[in-house]
Amino acid sequence: MIKSYKTRRQIANGIIYAILAIMGVIWVSPLVWMLLHSFRAEGGSSVHYLLPKEYTFDNYIKLFTETGVINFPRWFLNTLIVAIFSCIISTLSVLMVSYAFSRLRFKARRPLINIGMVIGMFPGFMTMIAIYYLLKAMGLTQTLPALVICYSSGAAIGFQISKGFFDTIPRALDEAATIDGATRNQIFWQIILPMSKPIVVYTVLTAFIGPWTDFILVKIIMGDKIANYTVAIGLQTMASQTYIGTYYTQFLAGATIVAIPISLLFLKMQNYYVEGVTAGGVKG
Amino acid sequence: MKMKRIFAVLLASALMGSVFVGCGDDTSNGGGDTTNSGGGDTTQTAEIEDGATLKLWGPNAALATLKKQAKAFEDAHKDKNVSVEVVQMEENDAGTQVLNDPEAAADVFGFASDQLTKLTMAKAIMPLYKDYEDKVVKEHSKSAVDTVRGDFEGSEVVYAFPETDNGYYLVYDKKVVSDEDAKSLEGVLEACKKAGRKFIMDAGNGYYSCMFAFTGGLKLDGVEGEAQDTQKFNEYDEKKVSASMKAFGELIKKYKGTFSKAAVANISAGFGENPRQVGAGIDGTWDTSVNQKALGDDFGVAKLPTINIDGTDTDIVGMIGYKYIGVNNNTKYPEAAMALADYLADKDCQQERLNDLGWTPTHTGVEVKDNPGITAMQEEGKTFVVQANIIQAFWDPMGNLGNQITKDKADLSDASMSKLLKDTLNNING
Repeated sequence: MIKSYKTRRQIANGIIYAILAIMGVIWVSPLVWMLLHSFRAEGGSSVHYLLPKEYTFDNYIKLFTETGVINFPRWFLNTLIVAIFSCIISTLSVLMVSYAFSRLRFKARRPLINIGMVIGMFPGFMTMIAIYYLLKAMGLTQTLPALVICYSSGAAIGFQISKGFFDTIPRALDEAATIDGATRNQIFWQIILPMSKPIVVYTVLTAFIGPWTDFILVKIIMGDKIANYTVAIGLQTMASQTYIGTYYTQFLAGATIVAIPISLLFLKMQNYYVEGVTAGGVKG
Repeated sequence: MKMKRIFAVLLASALMGSVFVGCGDDTSNGGGDTTNSGGGDTTQTAEIEDGATLKLWGPNAALATLKKQAKAFEDAHKDKNVSVEVVQMEENDAGTQVLNDPEAAADVFGFASDQLTKLTMAKAIMPLYKDYEDKVVKEHSKSAVDTVRGDFEGSEVVYAFPETDNGYYLVYDKKVVSDEDAKSLEGVLEACKKAGRKFIMDAGNGYYSCMFAFTGGLKLDGVEGEAQDTQKFNEYDEKKVSASMKAFGELIKKYKGTFSKAAVANISAGFGENPRQVGAGIDGTWDTSVNQKALGDDFGVAKLPTINIDGTDTDIVGMIGYKYIGVNNNTKYPEAAMALADYLADKDCQQERLNDLGWTPTHTGVEVKDNPGITAMQEEGKTFVVQANIIQAFWDPMGNLGNQITKDKADLSDASMSKLLKDTLNNING
């Protein structure tokens, strides 16, 4: 038995860190592999060795220049546009709905919160066919606005976390502002929002990531309109049976590039992110 | 008061919603009904509609050629002012996309035979008019037409125009495997082993692993015609099928380390590496160009080789599918669409696609000169089990059969092979 507390602690920590390090390596290795092989000069799909033999930027250059078959820049731009618009709209609507539910007292408040909760429990793709035909009736299928509508219109259902956050802000602030003559609207924009940076950031991030990862809805809405695809379908196309032999390394390059805007936004906002999730969770 | 107004708005929007949804359903059904009466027994082909605008779906690989052919079709029907728009849609996805929204889908579309069942079940594809049917039956290879026969409201019909085949064959590096070696699986494996190269087959995938059983004479009943979901395996000799499975298992065991169970994309990748890692493999026709690029002059292709079962060299029997050109049941211009599909499936267009793209013709009148890949596919077409009306429950049990036979510690005794076969068939038949 080791007597010294210090050595015991060191050994325990050593073991814990070793385990953590191993888990970390396991977790990161696919990403590192993807990054390395996106620079692979040798063509073909999978190779039997771990590290590429030659490195090149060609995969990235081709991805953005050879747009005859795989129009990645166009798809990337589509996704970016959709992500930005749906991010703005859904952030605003989520925050406004949460504010109303948190601060205003009206008869339908409880029922509406409950309805929101119940609807939120249904998986989104359940209504997909109905959504498609609604969009078709409006003549919006195969267009980018359709995607923006889909991603942002239902967003307000996810009000719970930000409502929880708003609930933690003392009502005394509202009251003080009211005495000073502020309207509900002014209170929201000038008092509550500046105090809620973490939750705003959280909402922005989740709303922005959605369009980059969604696949099924886009696939159904866009059909054969290849020019309006988003990166998710684009990447899937590149990895499909007929293309994978030729486009595998470009597919990896594309996957890496998709990660850039999301990572940038995340890095920029990550300090608030953690705070936002935990703060909102205190009182849900 | 306020509450009432909110409720009114909510109710109104819900009603609006249901109206819209109803609309969508109605129109698609209505469209289907009107055209259904047009298919089937019509014997006389009517005139092409004036000013028909058609959308044609084709895979990216064939887009340039299809555009050329669509242009030629437009020119041939200048008096009717027909226009054809060619849009990219891969054949393995076309059926799904047609079903998603038949009205937005193309009027004429290329699709692979595995998509046929869902298209016919949803009545999304228009059976050929009688005179086109007669022409197709007469001029195209029998197995290509048989695969696409079906039952439509009581009468036997042909559902689509055969375009090309879709299957797999043996590809090999000529530096490693000689043409003589390529005649038997034993020879191929031995040559690969000698060179220290791998032989790749996707043996855990039912599409390929079915050859373990089919080579022994297992046949699908109900492949032709009506029975879309009743696949029974009544006609087979259990001993023979088990013996075939065992022969594959033993051969694979003997060449452990050379035989590699991996997805087909690894074949071209292995050919492309420096030094090459793969000596041969069973790969799909769709990968021909990447394999050719990787191997250059060393590219060899042949029909699946023989395997020695209990002392006799037996031809391996796999599965062969076809690609078709179908007409959307919801098309506004059925006559023009039918005519376009017929034109694309006809001899001249098939010849052109053979020259441009290397697509095997199904039209018996097309001349094939000195093309081993196409000869291989045509040879396989004679004996292979056609991939038609295959139920969804076929693939996983068949894949499992492949996994069981090829796994490291497979029990290859006669009893266990028979049991595996029976279990597989039970799982498929449900």
